[in-house]
Amino acid sequence: MKELEENESEMSSRRNFLKKVGIGVGAVSIAGVAGTSVIAGTKSKSGEKIKLLSPDGTLVEVDKDDIKPAKEIVEELKTEARKGLPNRKFVMVIDLARCKNARKCVEACQEGHLLPKDHEWMKLFLLQDDLSTARYWFPRPCFHCDKPMCVSVCPVGATYKRPDGVVLIDNQRCIGCKFCMTGCPYSARVFNWKDPEVKVPAGHVYNPEDNIPAVEGTVGKCIFCADNLRKNILPRCVTACPMGVIYFGDLLEDTITNSTETVRFSKIMLDRAGYRYREELGTLPSVYYLPPTQRMFPVESGLEGTDESIKGRYKNAGPR
Amino acid sequence: MKKNISFTLLLIFSLITVCSDLYSQDKTLISPYIQLQYFKNTDDQRILKTTLTYSLNRMELPLAGMEITFYSGGDKKEILGTGLTDDKGAVKLELKDDLKIAADDAGMWAFNTEFKGNDTIEAASADISVKDVTLEVTYTEPDSIKTVTVKAYTSGQGKELPASGEPVLVYVPRMFSLLQIGEITLDDNGTGSIEFPGDLPGDKEGNITVITRFEENATFGNVEKQVQLKWGIPTDYSHPTTKRALWTKTAPRWMIYTLTILLSGVWGHYLFAIISLIRIRILAKRREEEDNYGK
Amino acid sequence: MQADNKLIKDLTPEIEKTSLKWYITFFTFLGFFALGIYGLIQQIDKGHIVTGMRDNVVWGFYIVNFIFFMGLSYSGALISGVLHLFNTGWRKPVIRMAELITIISLIIGPFFIFFCIGRLDRLYFLFIHPRIQSPITWDVIAIMTDLVGCFIYLYLSFIEDFAILRDYKGLKVPAWKKKLYKILSLGFNGTEKELKILANARTIMSVMIIAIAIIVYSVLAWIFGVTLQPGWHSTIFGPYFVIAAVFSGTGLLIILMWIFRKVYHLEEYITKRHFVNVGVLLTVIAAFYGYFTFSDYLTKWYGSIKMDSILIDKLFSDYYSLFIFANYIGIILPCIIIAFPRFRTIPNITVAAVIALLALWVNRYIIVIPTLETPFLPIQDTRPDWINYSPTWVEWSLTLAGVSIFVMLFMLVSKIAPIISISEMQEQDKDEILK
Repeated sequence: MKELEENESEMSSRRNFLKKVGIGVGAVSIAGVAGTSVIAGTKSKSGEKIKLLSPDGTLVEVDKDDIKPAKEIVEELKTEARKGLPNRKFVMVIDLARCKNARKCVEACQEGHLLPKDHEWMKLFLLQDDLSTARYWFPRPCFHCDKPMCVSVCPVGATYKRPDGVVLIDNQRCIGCKFCMTGCPYSARVFNWKDPEVKVPAGHVYNPEDNIPAVEGTVGKCIFCADNLRKNILPRCVTACPMGVIYFGDLLEDTITNSTETVRFSKIMLDRAGYRYREELGTLPSVYYLPPTQRMFPVESGLEGTDESIKGRYKNAGPR
Repeated sequence: MKKNISFTLLLIFSLITVCSDLYSQDKTLISPYIQLQYFKNTDDQRILKTTLTYSLNRMELPLAGMEITFYSGGDKKEILGTGLTDDKGAVKLELKDDLKIAADDAGMWAFNTEFKGNDTIEAASADISVKDVTLEVTYTEPDSIKTVTVKAYTSGQGKELPASGEPVLVYVPRMFSLLQIGEITLDDNGTGSIEFPGDLPGDKEGNITVITRFEENATFGNVEKQVQLKWGIPTDYSHPTTKRALWTKTAPRWMIYTLTILLSGVWGHYLFAIISLIRIRILAKRREEEDNYGK
Repeated sequence: MQADNKLIKDLTPEIEKTSLKWYITFFTFLGFFALGIYGLIQQIDKGHIVTGMRDNVVWGFYIVNFIFFMGLSYSGALISGVLHLFNTGWRKPVIRMAELITIISLIIGPFFIFFCIGRLDRLYFLFIHPRIQSPITWDVIAIMTDLVGCFIYLYLSFIEDFAILRDYKGLKVPAWKKKLYKILSLGFNGTEKELKILANARTIMSVMIIAIAIIVYSVLAWIFGVTLQPGWHSTIFGPYFVIAAVFSGTGLLIILMWIFRKVYHLEEYITKRHFVNVGVLLTVIAAFYGYFTFSDYLTKWYGSIKMDSILIDKLFSDYYSLFIFANYIGIILPCIIIAFPRFRTIPNITVAAVIALLALWVNRYIIVIPTLETPFLPIQDTRPDWINYSPTWVEWSLTLAGVSIFVMLFMLVSKIAPIISISEMQEQDKDEILK
C-alpha cells in the first residue's frame, strides 16, 4: 500500500563515510568513491571481508577487493581520463550579446577547481577590433581545439586531446617547459609560478578530470569541467552565469543549453551567425561565439561596480 | 541610597533585556520553502514529491534529513506516508495502483505535505489538488512527416471529458537537459498534434526518446508519456580524428622514417670514427708487442 | 711522437705551471658562479616566481642564453669543419680553440634549459615519455647527437698532441698528468697507417659536424618557427638562426684568440694575419646575417598584417635602442672596421668581435621577448610585471654564472692540453719549409 523510495540521504552518508575510511587506513583508499566510472567490481569479489574502524567508532565490513592502493586508483583514473566519454563531442557557444562582465563564471571556475585567486582559467577580455566597430566583453575559456597546437608541441605527452573533444593536462606528467603556453595562440594556459597552496579536501585522489590540486611548476587551463561531464552535469561557468551567456552541449546531439534555455546548435548558429575566434589560425576550436548584436546591456555596465584591480585592466582596452 | 538602588535596578533590568535580546537572536528560526508536486510517469505510476529548501544569501539550499509527512484527502487528512529528505532536499512517495483516494466533488484529489519543524527550522506545509487525466500519445508518419498526436481526457461519470485548451509539451531528452520540440494546445476535443523534426540526431541505430507531458499543470500536475522510437538520424561517432597526426599519440609515418634515417646515418658515422680509434689502438698494441718481442 | 722543441717550449708552459694570476682569475669567476648557484637555489626553493617570467612572457633570459650558447658552438663547426674541408692552412693555430668553444658551449647551453623547466625532478620524462612530434624532442635528440659528435671530433684532434706530450721528456708535470697523456693517446705513434686512419676519421667527422650543427640549430629555430605567434611564425627562421650562430661563434673565436694570445704570449703563432682572416670571415657572415635580418623585417613591415604591425611598432618604440644596436650597429660597425685596411688592427678587430657578440645576444632577446609581449589576445592586466618582462637578479646572476663557467672550463682545459694544436703547427711548419 505505502512504499517509500529508498531515500538517498542514507546512501550519501555511507558514501561519505567510506570516503573518509580511505584516509584513516594509510595509503589505501576504497575504489569507486572518486565519482568516476572506476568500479572495483570488474574483478570477481573474493568474498573476503575486512573489518575497518570508522571515524565515529563503528565497525564496518568491506569486501577486500574493494580496497586498492591509492596509486593504482590514480593510474586507472588517468587511463579513463585519456579515453573520455564515448560517443560525445563537446561544444560550447558563448553569446557575446549578453555578456556584461559579471565574472560569475570566473569565480565559479576558481571555486570548483580550488584555484588560487590570480589563476583565471576563464578570462574576460574587453575587445574592440576597430574604433568604428563595437566594443564587447569576451569570455575566453580554453577552446579545446580539434587541431591543438599545445598538444602537438608537448614533449612528454602531458597534455592530450581525447575523442570527446576535451583537451586535458596530466599534472603528474607535466615537466613545466611551457612550450604549450607559447604554442597556444589564445593565451589559454596559466602556469603555477609558485606553490599554489591549495587546501585539498581529505581523501581526494588526483584526477586529470578535475585537476585538483594545482601543482607548482606545471601548467593549468580550462578543462570543460570534465569531472562534471562524467556525471552529466554542466560545466561550472555555464550554470554560474546570471545572464545565460554560455551554452554547452554535445555536438553529436545537436543540442546546447545554458541551464535555462535548450536550443539546437545548428539552428542557433544559423540564426545568430555564430563564428569562431580567429578561424584563419586553423586550430578548429570547439568554442563558438554569437556576435554582440542587439546587446542586452551597454558595455559600460560591465565596468560599474567592479573592483579597481579588475577595472584597471581595461584602461587601455581598444583597437591595437 | 535610594538613588543608588534605583540605578542598580535599572542597570540589572537593561542587562537582562540585552541578554534576552541576544538569547532570542540565537533563537530565530529558518523559514523554509516547501513545494509539493504530483507526477504521473509513462508507466502510469503516481508519485508525490516534496522539496524542502531555504534561502541564504540569495541562494537556495536544500534541507536534508528532514522528516516529511504526506497526507491525502484535504481536511480529512489521511496519512499516506513519511520519509526523510535526501541531500537535494527532496523526498518521493509512490502511490500504488490499489490505493484508493477519495475524490472531492470536482473530481479532484487533494494532497498535503507537512514538515513539523524542529528547534532551528519552522514548520511548513503545502497542498495541491490534482485531477487524474489520461494522456494518449500516438506517433505516426503521414506523408513521411513525423507527427506526434496527443489525446487527453479525464474520466468523470463514466464519460470522457476532453482536456481542452491545456498545453502539452513535447521534449527530446539530451545529455544535460531536455530539448523542447514544441507545444501543443489541445483543441475542444482534447486532441492536438505537432510535427516532429526529421533531422534530429539519435544514437547509433537512430533511436530517440520522445517525452510528451503536461508540465506543472494547475489541474493535472505533471503527467508524461515517454517512448523510444527510431525517429532520429543514426549517428555513429567512430573515432573522428585521423589516427596519426601532430597531436595524436602516434606520430605520422613520414616523421618516424625521416628521424630514423637521419639518426642512423649520423650515429653510423660516429661508429665508424670510434672503430677508427679502436683500430689505432690495436695497431699501437701490436707494435708494442713487436717491440717487446724484439727486445 | 716528436715535435720541435721550440714549439713545445712555447705551447706548453701553461700546462706545466699555474701562475697566481690564473688562480685569482679562476676564483673570481668561481665567485660569480657561486652567486648564480645561490640564485638557482632561491628559484628551486621559492618557485619560478623569483624570475621575471610570467604567464605571457613565459620564456625569458634562460631561453635567450640557451640559444646564445648553442649558437657559440658554431665556431667549431665552421673553423674545424668547413675550413678543414677546404684545407685552409692559416686556420691551424685557431682550430683547437674553436673546437673547445664548441664543446664547452654545448655543455653549458642545455643547463639554461634546465633552469627554465618548472619541474626539474621530472626531467627524465623527456627520455621515457618522448613525443616525436614535438620540436623539443627533436632538440633533445639533436643536442645529444651533436655533443657526442663534437666530443669524438675533439678527441680525434687531441690524440696527436697527447702523443707528443707523452713523449716529450722535458715536460715538467705531475705524474698523474703524464699517465693521463699516456692513456688518452692510445699508443699513437705517428706511423703512416695510423695517420691515414686518423685523417680519414677526421674528414668524415668534420662533414658530420657540419651536417649535425646545421640540424641542431635549425631544430632550435623551429621551436619558435612552428608556433603561430606573430614574429616567430617565419619561414626564414631555420637558415636565419644558423647564420646568426656562425656569426656569434666567429666573434667569440676572435675574442678568445686575443685573450690567449695576450695571456700566454703566443704572438708568434697567432698573428695579425689570423685576426684579419677570421675578421674577414666575420664580415662576410655579418653581411649574410644582415641580409637575413633585413629580409625578415622588411616582409613583416611591408605587409599590413595587423599582428606583424603591432610587433614592429613595439620593436620600434619600447625596444628601439636594443633593435638599433642589434641589427644595425652590430652588423655595420664590424663590417666597417674590417673592410677598411686602415682600421684593421688587432685591438680594433677584437672590439668589432665584442660588439658583434653582444649584438647577437640582444638579437636573440629581441626575437624571443617582444613576440611574447604581443600575443593575439591583448594582455589586459594591472600588474606591471605581467605586462612587460623585466628580468630579476636571479636571471642576471645565472647568466653571469653561465659566462663564468664557460671561462672556468676553458681555463681548466688549458691546463691539460695545449691551447694551440702542436701537431697542427708542426705540419704547418713542414708545409712552409717545403714551399
